[in-house]
Amino acid sequence: MSKQYDTFVQSIEDLPTGEGVRLRVRDLTPGRCKYDVRYVEATVTTSALPEDDTLRIRGPKGYLYPQCYSIKITGELGEFPPE
Amino acid sequence: MIFEDNRQFIEVLAKTGDVVRVKRTVDWDLEAGAIVARANEAKGPAVLFEQIKDYPSGYRLFGSPLGTYRRLAIALGLDADTSPKTLQNEFERRTESPIRPVVVKDAPCKQNVLLREEVDLYRFPAPMVHDGDGGRYIGTWHMVIMKDPDSDWVNWGMYRLMVHNKNHVGVYLTLANPNQGARLFFRHYFPNREPMPVAIAIGADPLSSFAAACRFRARQSEVDYAGGLRGKPVELVKCETNDLLVPAHSEVILEGMILPTIVDEGPFGEALGYRHGMERFPVMRVDAITYRDNPMLTMTCMGMPVHDSHIVESISGSVNIKKRLRSEGIPVQDVFLPPEMSLYAAVISVQGSGSNLQEQLAETVMGDLKFLVVNDDVDVFDLNQVLHAFATKCHPGTGISVVEHQHAALLSPFLTKGERATGKGARVIFDCTWPPGWSRETDTPMRCSFKDVYPEEIRERVLRNWMDDGFR
Repeated sequence: MSKQYDTFVQSIEDLPTGEGVRLRVRDLTPGRCKYDVRYVEATVTTSALPEDDTLRIRGPKGYLYPQCYSIKITGELGEFPPE
Repeated sequence: MIFEDNRQFIEVLAKTGDVVRVKRTVDWDLEAGAIVARANEAKGPAVLFEQIKDYPSGYRLFGSPLGTYRRLAIALGLDADTSPKTLQNEFERRTESPIRPVVVKDAPCKQNVLLREEVDLYRFPAPMVHDGDGGRYIGTWHMVIMKDPDSDWVNWGMYRLMVHNKNHVGVYLTLANPNQGARLFFRHYFPNREPMPVAIAIGADPLSSFAAACRFRARQSEVDYAGGLRGKPVELVKCETNDLLVPAHSEVILEGMILPTIVDEGPFGEALGYRHGMERFPVMRVDAITYRDNPMLTMTCMGMPVHDSHIVESISGSVNIKKRLRSEGIPVQDVFLPPEMSLYAAVISVQGSGSNLQEQLAETVMGDLKFLVVNDDVDVFDLNQVLHAFATKCHPGTGISVVEHQHAALLSPFLTKGERATGKGARVIFDCTWPPGWSRETDTPMRCSFKDVYPEEIRERVLRNWMDDGFR
């Protein structure tokens, strides 16, 4: 079953796509741990297929963009990796 | 009555009709916040959520503990209908006699202890307060306890805490808008990249939390003022993993270290009524959690007025400004920060004209507030009177003074990007008083109100017959 994540960006135009994207995401899986923050490396694409994990994008003040991206997490970067 | 904890406080609020106990299962994810927001906007009661989705029975949320003057009055042991002016006077009187705390060995907050690998913040129903916030906020009505390493001073502050993961929270400490906790951390620990011991008390007794939210003079221990407000010492107990002392009757204690790790935090709907952008704050690693059986987290739903922060600051902030102005020789009668204005405007009544005082006020008062100066025949606690004075007495050309290059609060919604980056804004003083040279007999317009233009004999006759005439 596909999972849902979101991330905050200063501007949606700044969101990198492709492989090896380093992101701070929130896990939106329902339950007690919803909104758990993870720093990940992922492949992010603009076309979201039903079987993909979904990435939603929020602006800096919390605005939820209507676009859905797909995300495939390929690695964990640790709790608070240096930028 | 002095409340040792929120549980006793809620029992009394239930008798006065100032709390609603929601018994159905409520979702911590937005629903609890929405209920508290609506209650606040309706100037309604506090809310006790007795069943929280995803959490065992007994785990509760207490929303908006001091969100009205009634609840603050009850917390102070006063009549629920005590006026804001009397609350201010009482606050000033009690904080002039601080009482030092006492240290106890046994404490309700130690009924359960989680250490290190056992720590899991997700055990507690921290709410997602607003849709679009950066995370769940376990700290919106709490205290952050930090000790100055070079003195006995212990600072209690109310700095928001966002859950990052099971054992880390972000702490609102920033040099861009330094609170006293930020000054401690960034002066003594961050330069050497050292962690700083810290404790968080969630759900302390109402007046201890109130003291933590107030802004007292720098380097004053809020716990002493909490004792003064209570009329008896606060009981403190030592943490498990550091030497800090925490209120013994708190619901949940988080112990740990503030790390020299600065990360993205927020955004969060804040006290001013808006949510602006993300910030970058240090992270606290939580090394221990101690808590009471059936723990009750406290929350405030910040946003559009009126909520707990507004009530607190309208009392304590007003007293602070009044004291400061009087210490500068300004003939202040009363000061009020109307909670409806999200504490961004202060109404100051003065004897005589405010025109002579504009320069003094500009130099004395701080921040990017708007100041409305009114004559002492205007009741600063009555917004109708204040608005009337502003509309009719503030000369558009000569009555407005703008002072540039003032310290600006980071959360000020109207700041430009440049001002937010530099921390510099402006403040404005609206002189809503009659000019100094106007004679009372010939120049000053006469107020036409029931109180002002009818002889006492006529007023008394009107009032005597009021109910019989059919008025209510």
